[in-house]
Amino acid sequence: MNKLKKVVAIFLGLGVILGTGTMTANADALQDIQSRGTIKVGMLVDFPPYGLMNAQNQPDGYDADVAHLLAQDLNVKLQLVPVTGPNRIPYLLSGQIDVLVASLGITQERARSVAFSEPYAAITIGVYGKDDVRITKPEDLAGKTIAVARASTQDTAVTKVAPRSATIRRFDSDAAALQALMSGQVPLVGCSNVCFATIQNLAPGKYNKKFELSSQVQGIAVKPGEEKLLARINQFIDKVKANGELDKINRKWLGEAMPAVLRKK
Amino acid sequence: MIRQFGWNEFELLVFAARWTIVLAIIAFVGGGIGGLVVALLRTAGSRVARTAMIVFIRVFQGTPLLMQLFLAYFGMAIVGVNVNPLIAAMIALTAHASAYLGEIWRGCIEAVPHGQTEAARALGLHYFARMRYVVLPQAARIAVPPTVGFLVQLVKETSLTSIIGFVELTRQGQIITSVTFRPFAVFGLVAAIYFLMCWPLSLVARGMERGFARATRR
Repeated sequence: MNKLKKVVAIFLGLGVILGTGTMTANADALQDIQSRGTIKVGMLVDFPPYGLMNAQNQPDGYDADVAHLLAQDLNVKLQLVPVTGPNRIPYLLSGQIDVLVASLGITQERARSVAFSEPYAAITIGVYGKDDVRITKPEDLAGKTIAVARASTQDTAVTKVAPRSATIRRFDSDAAALQALMSGQVPLVGCSNVCFATIQNLAPGKYNKKFELSSQVQGIAVKPGEEKLLARINQFIDKVKANGELDKINRKWLGEAMPAVLRKK
Repeated sequence: MIRQFGWNEFELLVFAARWTIVLAIIAFVGGGIGGLVVALLRTAGSRVARTAMIVFIRVFQGTPLLMQLFLAYFGMAIVGVNVNPLIAAMIALTAHASAYLGEIWRGCIEAVPHGQTEAARALGLHYFARMRYVVLPQAARIAVPPTVGFLVQLVKETSLTSIIGFVELTRQGQIITSVTFRPFAVFGLVAAIYFLMCWPLSLVARGMERGFARATRR
């Protein structure tokens, strides 16, 4: 996997250099999409609940639902193209797809090679636990035991805010930490909303969110320079945030309301 | 979201294996033809052809198949040639297999004692007849084990085509694992399906070796 990433990184760089030629030659992707009548959207299919293949072997998930709404909003047909983590940016830059709705976290490094829309999704890290445990802030962790996956983002975040008297039990994986919660060994767990959606699925209604630690927002990505397309996508995102459709998608796939970080401009 | 690993998932895996088979057949056929051309040019062609083949072999043996696939698909799209992924896979797999098979077969052709070629020449046989009736049949006998060894490897290497969007056996295994959380069951099955594809190749090889042994028994 590492080798793969390296190879991809090298050619990505090459792609950006070579790609600038074709990009300027054909700078209105929005018009292309409309005259073609189809929008080609790249999405992950191995990142549930954002992207997955359903039992009918069709792309499904949070990203797929957003992509469907986007196509509807542009009044064009949708063509979903399954991409993978390492090849999603090459797919976009080489013009095989028009946009990426592929859970692409907005980072400075990535913003150098693609243009991001406003955030349409967020992975939040928080403290979750049994319904009857009453805590609302980091200080309340005093004297409590909390499980996390060792050396993960949530480990770092919990360790930073937890008072001294809190016991942090570190497990090898999120799965093991969640298992500890569900088998009753610990009352609390630090994990992402994505992991929490898994427990909601296995044991609905027994656990809830206590407080949020940090968040990583994800954007829809287009080729750099596609200003018109990007503006149109931002307009779409504002619309679905305002009319509650994005909230519906959040409830459907993540089992909770649209995170607050997406509400603020 | 979490699905059970059941009959439906089993079917999806078996269904995905068709891409593995199609891609392997493309690589076998393309590589077989290309490899023969490379081997013949490398052993008998003009100096220019020989050098060109050496360069071809060095380049394709010295670079990862993953990168060849990547360039054939994304690279060509960037320079403005939009290729469909199947064509890109065809180009990369054929070139890759030709380079390896060409070099394997060159060794086999050169392993046939030179006296055989000289005797055929003395009988007045031209290049084509000499190769067809004297040299290649003897080279084929030695070529069976290394060729089959390479082909079995090639079947498994087709999994790299997932970089250009093919959902073949390994990739389908990853996708199903992500929703079923049953990696051992899924990848165990993936391995078993690969085995079922590769084992017959080994059986055919053994059969061919026996056939050659019978034909040359004194």
